[in-house]
This record gives sequence, structure tokens and C-alpha cells, in this order.
Amino acid sequence: MNILELRDVSYTYNRGTPFEELALDSVSVGFEKGKITGIIGHTGSGKSTLTHLLNGLEKPSSGDVLLCGESIWEEPKKIAQIRFRIGLVMQYPEYQLFDETVRADIGFGPRNMGLDEDEIARRVDEAARFAGIAPELMDKSPFDLSGGQKRRAAIAGVLAMRPEILVLDEPAAGLDPRGRTEILGGLRDYQRSRNATILLVSHSMEDMARYCDNIVVMNQGRIYVTGTVSEVFARSEELQSVGLNVPEIARIANGLIRRGIPLSGDLYTVEGVRRAILSYVKGECEC
Amino acid sequence: MLKDITFGQYFPGQSLLHRLDPRTKILLSLIFIVILFVAKTPIAFLLMILLTAVFVEMSKIPFGTIFKGIRAVLILLLFTAAINLFLTKGQGTPLLEFWVIKIYAEGIWRAVIMAVRVVLLILISGLFLTYTTTPIALTDGIESLLSPLKKIRIPVHEFAMMITIALRFIPTLIEETDRVISAQKARGADFSSGGLIKRARALIPILVPLLVSSIKHAEDLATAMECRCYRGGDGRTRMVKLTYRTRDFLMLLFVLAIGASVFVLNHYIPILLPDLYYF
Ligand SMILES: Nc1ncnc2c1ncn2[C@@H]1O[C@H](COP(=O)(O)OP(=O)(O)OP(=O)(O)O)[C@@H](O)[C@H]1O
Ligand SMILES: [Mg+2]
Repeated sequence: MNILELRDVSYTYNRGTPFEELALDSVSVGFEKGKITGIIGHTGSGKSTLTHLLNGLEKPSSGDVLLCGESIWEEPKKIAQIRFRIGLVMQYPEYQLFDETVRADIGFGPRNMGLDEDEIARRVDEAARFAGIAPELMDKSPFDLSGGQKRRAAIAGVLAMRPEILVLDEPAAGLDPRGRTEILGGLRDYQRSRNATILLVSHSMEDMARYCDNIVVMNQGRIYVTGTVSEVFARSEELQSVGLNVPEIARIANGLIRRGIPLSGDLYTVEGVRRAILSYVKGECEC
Repeated sequence: MLKDITFGQYFPGQSLLHRLDPRTKILLSLIFIVILFVAKTPIAFLLMILLTAVFVEMSKIPFGTIFKGIRAVLILLLFTAAINLFLTKGQGTPLLEFWVIKIYAEGIWRAVIMAVRVVLLILISGLFLTYTTTPIALTDGIESLLSPLKKIRIPVHEFAMMITIALRFIPTLIEETDRVISAQKARGADFSSGGLIKRARALIPILVPLLVSSIKHAEDLATAMECRCYRGGDGRTRMVKLTYRTRDFLMLLFVLAIGASVFVLNHYIPILLPDLYYF
């Protein structure tokens, strides 16, 4: 079932000025409940714009954003309520930190929700755990943290609101491989423990293959391809034509298929391809 | 949102006005202002109105955009016109008289002239200095025009550099403000309800990150400039050199000729209102 859906949404920046820019062009797409959906696309393809629309930060120029089948702009006064349900971590979220301590900063969202102090403290600790923030950092000033730690604090600030849908715009961009796995792994833990829905914008096909269930490919303000991870990666030529690379291993698997070796299964992780090749080789021997 | 404010109102284009040297445009505006205040005869004003119309047409900038600038001062304009209309004492008999208000022919003339002056002033300076000139080109022009002042040790270059940097960072700051507001809104921040104190407190989550990033920008910029051995204006060459071209001279000549004819008109055509300047 689609918990969140865009219906024929267009968005134009600087409308009515000479700097007009059509960032989204009649986009229709749905996001499945309880799944991690990756959003990928070339730079400037409209991914960040899409995330702002999903969270109600920006109102579509035309079209509708539906949460559980109802337009989020039905009652514009209630948009703040919607924002608590759909958490958004913006691209490079470090700059949003402002409070005296990391703990207070993570508590900003829950405090705005009007929760009591016990509940806030509980949520802050839980969010810090998912985001991988060491307890001794919690009482430091957020401005004394390293870049990667700031990123985690900013992500925790959104997790602490316990949104049922979490939209992240390149949460792992510019981090080292270990930082990436820790943050993305933490997000997956959050998704499993709360049965949340996650939309993950990323440039990394490897990350997509590892963490996502579905993929939406965007190109120049339009949806280019959508489907499950294996469906999308099976179309590597089309992806390459819009400047995206599929993971190396998926390219190898696709190459083998083209040369007449019928592989099946998860053909986008090393493990999956290894299993597929092994079972193919075994099958070959038996007959 | 904030970004919808198109900064500086510069309107990209390729018209003659766009291609003039910024120094020419500054000089033209100054000459124009002088002419406007020297002119005394109706013909001169008609000439100026015609000239302005030609410039507006030439610039290819939509009418609506240009007149937005006037709408901002409309109240002031009406107010001055009213004062001129009601308070000017003429020599003849009043044209209109009721209660304490007496309206003379001179009053009408003066109100109209003041209004025309202010409107033309705004139109011309807006057209030359903001709509067809980027802020950066404008500061370059100012620096170049003021450079003789360096002889008496006025730090013209540093001054222009400061303005350029400030202008350069306005869009960045607007963009960052937009982003911070969005990020805090996404965390449920509420900027539009509650009393004065609550609203002021709600600004903290926006102001702190902006202040931090401004200081960081300043530091980064200072480092970047030092890395490239910036040592102030002495001996510094430019990537974009300002050069006067034929069109600049022709334009200056043209407007100066208009100015001269306005001056001549003042002497040969009966002036309607000799004391136009008590204001
Ligand atoms: N504030 C803005 N004003 C005007 N145009 C904008 C603005 N933000 C984005 N755009 C334009 O909208 C288009 C989509 O931008 P968007 O930021 O959504 O891309 P993106 O897919 O997130 O790119 P990236 O991978 O680089 O983050 C781009 O062409 C961009 O120039
Ligand atoms: Mg982006």
C-alpha cells in the first residue's frame, strides 16, 4: 500500500520572474509503507525539491501530495502536524544545529511537539543511539563536534520526533565508508523497530543496493524509472544513458545474462550474484 | 519565500543600456538629475519625459517591473504634490476656493513639476543603475570613478572591495536563511504564533546558525584571499577591465546636448514660475 503519494506534481522556482526554473515536471509516484525507497538521479534532477514537497515545506505549483490518501494541504493550518509525521533531514543538515548542548538540540523537535520532559529525554537518548552519537558528546556544544558528528546530531534531531515516514536527503554524503555504514545501518534499525517508511536520497548505487527495497530514478525533473531494486538494476543501459552507474557487480551480472547465462535472484550484491552463479554452475553439472 | 525577492532587481538583457560602461551610466544618471533640477520650461520637461520613455523602451524591461519602483514611493509623491498644491500662494486670484483652501495656478504647476521630477528621477536612476547594471559592475564603476581620491589617501579600493563582498554575500545569506528556516520548520518550529517574547525567542534557532555560518564565511574568505596573496589595491590588475567605447561617448554627448538645450530653453522661453526654487 502507498502511504505517501505524489499525484501529477509540478514545481517551479521563482515563478513569474526571469529566473523561472521548472524543477519538477508532472511527477506521479507512490511510496510503499514499511519499505525503504531510494531516490537517485543526476545532480539537479529535482531530488531535493521533491523532499521539500513531501514534507510540506514547499507547496506544489500544481498537483497533490497525498498522505494515507489525503492531501497534506487539505488544511494548511495543520501542516505542522504533518511535519511531525513526515520527518525530513535536509541535504547538509549540519547548519541547523543551534542549541547550547547536543542534547538540547536533539530535543528541539520533540519540545515543539509539546511532549513532557521525561518523554523528551527518552526520545533524545533513543535517537542518539540510532544515529550513533557517543554518550559523552551529548553535553558538548554542537559547534565543537566534527563534521560527521554534527551530521549525526542533526539526523538524531529528526529521529527524536519519531516520524512514521522519514525522508533523508543524502544523509551519508561526504562521510567515510564506516560513517556511511553506521548511519545508514542505524536508519535501517530505526525503520525496523518502528515499522517506519524511509525515503533515502543518495548518489551511491552501492548504498541503494544494500539498504533499499525500491528505487525511484529521477532525470531532469521527471520520474525516469521506478521499481524494486532488482528491476531497476536490470536496466543498467538506460540508467547509464542518464549518467548513473549501477553497481559493478550488477553490471557483471547483466553482462553474463547478455552472453546467454541465465542468472536469477538478487543480482546487485556480491553475495547475491555469487549464489546465482554457484546455483547456475551446479545446475549445469547436473544435466 | 525569501528567495522570491530577486536580488538587486537586475534584469538580464542585451540592450544598449545593458552594454554601456557602468561609469557612463553613473555619469548619465548624475547629468540627468542636474538637468531635471535646472529645467524650468514646460518644453524641457516634455523633452525629458520623451527621453525617459525612449530609454525605457530601449532597455526592453517590462513596464510593470519598472513601475514597481514608483509604487513604493507613491504615497510620498502624493503627499508632496498635495502640499505643493494647497500651500503655494500665487499672485493672481485663486482658481478654486472653499473653506480655508485656496488653489492657485502656480500651485498646480508646481505640484505637477515636482511629481514629474521625482518620477523621472526614480525611473532614470533605476533604469541605469539597478535594472541594467549588476551590483558588482556598479561598484567597479564607482571605484573607478572615485579612484582620483586615492591621491589624497582615501582607501577607495578597500571601500569598493567591502561593498563588493557584502553584495556578493547577500544572495548566499538569503539562501542560507531560507535553508535554516526550512530545516527548523521541518523540526516543528513555529514562527508565527504567540506573543512578542515568544516570537523573538523563536528566532534564536535561525539567528544562531546564521551568525555561525557568517563568521565562518568571513574566516574562509579571509584565508582564501590571503592564500592568493591579496594585499589590497596597489598594483592589482583586473580580470574584467572597464573600457569606454564609442557608444559610451556618443551617449554622453547626446545627453549633454540635451542638457545644453534645456539650459538654452530656460533663457529664451518665458518661464512660468520664477520662484520655483523656494522649496
Ligand atoms: N532555490 C532555488 N531557486 C531556483 N532554482 C532552484 C532552487 N533550488 C533548486 N533549483 C533548481 O531546481 C532544479 C532541481 O534542484 P534540486 O536541488 O532539487 O536538485 P537535486 O536533484 O537535489 O540535486 P543534487 O543532487 O545536486 O542535490 C535544479 O535545476 C536547480 O537549479
Ligand atoms: Mg539535492
